[in-house]
Amino acid sequence: MVKALFFKEWIKTRGVFLISLIAIAAVSAYAVLMMSRLIQLKGVEHLWLIMMLKDNSFVDTLKYLPAIAGIALAIAQMAPEMAQKRLKLTLHLPYPQNALVAIMLCTGMVELLVIYALQLAIIGIYDSTILPVELVTRVLLTMVPWSLAGFTAYLFTCSICLEGTWKRRIILSLIGLAVMFIYYLQPALEAYNGMLALIIIFICLTAILSFGSIIRFKEGRQ
Amino acid sequence: MINDSTPVISVKHLTQRYGTGRVIYSDLNFEVPKGRILGLLGKNGTGKTTTINILMGYLRPVEGDCRIFGEKITEIRPETRARIALLIEGHVQYSFMTISQIEKFYSRFYRKWNREAYYELMKKLHVSPNQKISSMSCGQRSQVALGLILAQNADLLVLDDFSLGLDPGYRRLFVDYLHDYAKSEEKTVFMTSHIIQDLERLIDDCIILDYGKILTHTPVNELLDTFSKFTFSTTDDSPLPDDDKLVNPYRIKNLVEVYSFRDADYVKHSLEKQGIKYSGFRKEEMNLEDAFIGLTGKY
Repeated sequence: MVKALFFKEWIKTRGVFLISLIAIAAVSAYAVLMMSRLIQLKGVEHLWLIMMLKDNSFVDTLKYLPAIAGIALAIAQMAPEMAQKRLKLTLHLPYPQNALVAIMLCTGMVELLVIYALQLAIIGIYDSTILPVELVTRVLLTMVPWSLAGFTAYLFTCSICLEGTWKRRIILSLIGLAVMFIYYLQPALEAYNGMLALIIIFICLTAILSFGSIIRFKEGRQ
Repeated sequence: MINDSTPVISVKHLTQRYGTGRVIYSDLNFEVPKGRILGLLGKNGTGKTTTINILMGYLRPVEGDCRIFGEKITEIRPETRARIALLIEGHVQYSFMTISQIEKFYSRFYRKWNREAYYELMKKLHVSPNQKISSMSCGQRSQVALGLILAQNADLLVLDDFSLGLDPGYRRLFVDYLHDYAKSEEKTVFMTSHIIQDLERLIDDCIILDYGKILTHTPVNELLDTFSKFTFSTTDDSPLPDDDKLVNPYRIKNLVEVYSFRDADYVKHSLEKQGIKYSGFRKEEMNLEDAFIGLTGKY
């Protein structure tokens, strides 16, 4: 049954997943290309210098992509459930309803994990060929909050899609926007290092929103 | 304790309203015994889909106790849900799947899954197993939904307005298939439809809902035997009969029609008592749709 549920979610999301994967790989490759071009022109020492003195990670182009991918994936996954109230079919399946929702969310999270892992891998692998470990870690730790922002955007968008009333959709959207704003508040490298654990806990709590939307759907608040 | 005499569906003192506003119905009570096909009939807005939504757990009623297979609808176990096949209004299915994907998907959830029943119906549609449901016509989608219900082999079938959007051919196909299946397998069916002619060939019992209450809950044969339509001619200025046993009197020029659970003698006597002069008094042949209109009125 679990496999069948993953299969259903995969059918809905595979298009957006592949597009996101290609887009993120392409933009990551572009960032890599920019760095290698700079090295060719001015040497690797120049790159190091800019990184250390000017707080430039050379991956700024990747900043908003994880969030965009998260939102797109959530819409691809949840909009078909809400169209014609198809969610009724899902909730009618002979499987514990909370587990059903958890599997739906898990599928999206795993797909995003793959996308973000690819992004981190491309940058990490390339950077490790030209930079010392300390600088590679610095770049990756700068990128991690962007991925976490992607998970947050995904979970907020899921709960907004699953929400039956416009009033709550608007409230959730405003809260979501405010939260997303926090992720991009600090442009400095590794600015969020001290609160990564806290952000992960917050993301886990954000998942609860979708369960709340489902409860309200079942009460007929549509 | 659940035994054979436990009704498949039991609704007691059900009250529902639109938000905090108009009452849809109050103190609704009915049961659906095992093996019966029951049609819930009513005009638009009388609460047919609302009742199905409540029974399926997608709407919390203001008041009342609803049970399916003896279990409270708010606490229905997944194993019990496996015994209930649900058709959502408009034959909604996972339209992003193909014919074969959807069969494969559902088959994992139901132990009694009957793959052949599904594909037998799909053969009639002349569609490829790789065809996406979203690219099919409404009639074809209805057959996919029906095929999935038949394959599920559930004990209770809940069908919300199965005739919505279907042309006569597909409606007939749906009714015939469903009737044979339900009768041969002793399934219980609870259904609504806005096309009452279709239901006449299918249902054993009917509940006719009016705004706020049940008008009648009876076997269809009994309703057609006991409820009658009478017509007579009268003068243009003659009043319509005023007797609570003569329901929904209606006049077109000088022809009056009236419905009653009483016999022709009672109706004639009532007209005479009210001083209504009539001629050409007739008891008309009636089908379920006539009976429905007779009970609920044209407006």
